[in-house]
Amino acid sequence: MRFIQIVITTLSLLTSGIVSAQLNVVTTTQDLAALAQAVGGSHIHAEALTMGTRDPHFAEARPSMIRVVHGADVLVVVGADLEIGWLPAVLRSARNAKVQTGGEGFLDLSEHVALLGKASGPVDRSLGDVHVQGNPHYWLDPQNGLVMARTIADKLIEMDKTHRVDYEANFASFEKTLQTKIKQWHDALSILKGKKIIVYHNSLLYLAKTFGFEIVAEIEPKPGISPSAAHLAKLVSTIKSQDIDLLLMEPYYERRSAEFLQRNTGIQVYVIPQSVGSTSKVTNYIELFDEIVFALRGVK
Amino acid sequence: MLSDRKSFNSGLVLLLSVSLSFGAQASGEGLQIGLSGTSAVGMGTVGDGTIAKLQAGGHDPKRNGFTVQNIELSLSAAVDPYWDAQSNIVSQISPDGESVFELEEAYFVSRALPLGLQLKGGQFYTEFGRHNPQHPHVWSFVDQPIIASRLLGGDGLRSQGGRLSWLAPLPWMSEFFVALQNANGETTHSFMSSGEQHNHGGEIQAEASFAEFALVDRPVKNAGDLLYSVRWLNGFDVGETLGANLGLSALYGPNNTGYETDTQILGADVFVKWQAQQSHRGFPFVAWHTEIMRRDYLAGDEGNTAHAKLIDVGMFSQLTWGFRQGWVMGLRYEWAQGNEAHAHDALAEEEIDPMRDKRQRMSTNLTYFPSEFSKVRLQYNQDHADHLGGVAHSFWLQIEYTIGAHMAHQF
Repeated sequence: MRFIQIVITTLSLLTSGIVSAQLNVVTTTQDLAALAQAVGGSHIHAEALTMGTRDPHFAEARPSMIRVVHGADVLVVVGADLEIGWLPAVLRSARNAKVQTGGEGFLDLSEHVALLGKASGPVDRSLGDVHVQGNPHYWLDPQNGLVMARTIADKLIEMDKTHRVDYEANFASFEKTLQTKIKQWHDALSILKGKKIIVYHNSLLYLAKTFGFEIVAEIEPKPGISPSAAHLAKLVSTIKSQDIDLLLMEPYYERRSAEFLQRNTGIQVYVIPQSVGSTSKVTNYIELFDEIVFALRGVK
Repeated sequence: MLSDRKSFNSGLVLLLSVSLSFGAQASGEGLQIGLSGTSAVGMGTVGDGTIAKLQAGGHDPKRNGFTVQNIELSLSAAVDPYWDAQSNIVSQISPDGESVFELEEAYFVSRALPLGLQLKGGQFYTEFGRHNPQHPHVWSFVDQPIIASRLLGGDGLRSQGGRLSWLAPLPWMSEFFVALQNANGETTHSFMSSGEQHNHGGEIQAEASFAEFALVDRPVKNAGDLLYSVRWLNGFDVGETLGANLGLSALYGPNNTGYETDTQILGADVFVKWQAQQSHRGFPFVAWHTEIMRRDYLAGDEGNTAHAKLIDVGMFSQLTWGFRQGWVMGLRYEWAQGNEAHAHDALAEEEIDPMRDKRQRMSTNLTYFPSEFSKVRLQYNQDHADHLGGVAHSFWLQIEYTIGAHMAHQF
């Protein structure tokens, strides 16, 4: 009798781990996990497949991802081909029909925000790795963050109607905080307005649009192509002739090129976090922009 | 076989034209079409005949001069909510200048079976170790490991059949594979293979022996005459920068040097990869991949005058270091040995079986990726083999490109 009791207790303990009351939300990036956690609160468990310290486009389909996606109730992706190198392979092995493309638990946020940089005219890879559907770095506009949070909230409500009120309340509080913060960020970054800026990769388009600066050149000659010495020399003359005084880049890119430009032109180089998790100080979506503001405090 | 191949070729042309025109129209429905091309040029210190024996892989560069190693067309899409399908059609130019086409893989995979199960069916690579199911465009070296060519065949072990796999509900990623495939065919080396075909002056000939043992026409009588394979793959993340795969594999099936003879192959594989916390397009990284395999091949029925248990053991261990963005350095050491490789105790080197003798190879290479879609690789091989009676050196320059669908970044 006692043996049977032990078996039953053990089994129920084991299954409670598998069938938990929380909704299992898996996201491709830490930005999306942070937004999901903000609106999902204690009713969800959010887990990101890639880390903010790395470029999500170049992630690899790791076996551990297969296990995580297998257990997902909801899969939230950035879309616009950002995850094309690895997510299809993970989905093929994950044996979870719910979160396959088009499944009830699959959410592609790129379908819900207005994408910039859509390719016009014929495109091929001689132009570099151009994302035909538009630039996928849209989370760097906080107004898009609001749309993303709202879309995730709608999906959570659809999947878990019993906690609708909580999801709505969480979203409302997130929206209020974000709106207040957006004003502060705009004030703090007003110095960027109208500035001509060089970036490393074409990933700060949305940041430029929302804070009013102009991207005049990239260190990469074409998306995904490393700069040659000739291209860097050309940038030196562009910086001098157009009087560009600021270079912005993400922490994970190589620094040699930026240091070369700084040495030869005196341009100010600022490394800014591009994602939640890119530094230990950025643990949620609000802190992402707080840290961008903090990183740029010395801009002249 | 020859007529089969001809009709397959004309069928292939039809398939290509249909699929390409279909793809152009139906790209919105998710049909992914990709093509990768791998070619090499190289020179060795030994002649063409010897190089072909040293570079025994079907896609290895295998002669002094140029080799089109692998032109691979891959088509894949979801069929419906229940199945995904993929097919890879490979063409290459043989050392004799003949164009060779193969339906390398063509399979369907289930999307929605419950309980962590997945079913795969069709023509596919057998899940044995890490290297065997890999396509040439993901290799870290220009050629495949010696022991893979010896035990699993120049073209890799693949056949028609079905595979069931199960994702175990464990705290780490753990997957079991069980497959049943035909043991006969051209690409089931070590089993009931009809032998690799060689083109001699326009006449296609198949090898009629395996390590000196004449092949018999062995029929498939029952399920016992099929190829059985099992694999257990485990994946771990150690912290945020280290990932590891550990696998064990086993194969069992009949061979055609007798009516009652069979082959068993066992293998273990390790893959460990470190990637910097802050990495620029996946760089810097260090990856270590090692496999060890053993084959027990019963050759010739008991009671026959020619009867032996052939045991082959081998391993390869390779280290790749992505030291800066776009640049990878590789080092590989290989060792392989078979018992009774010296036919009839003969001492003459030409009597030694080049597919079973004691052999070691050291390779080093440098690969540059101008973008995600192309690479250039320079490799040096140093071979020590009993049948050579000395050392062979060779240098290879390889160029590879992919167009169309984005190839998967596999761990």
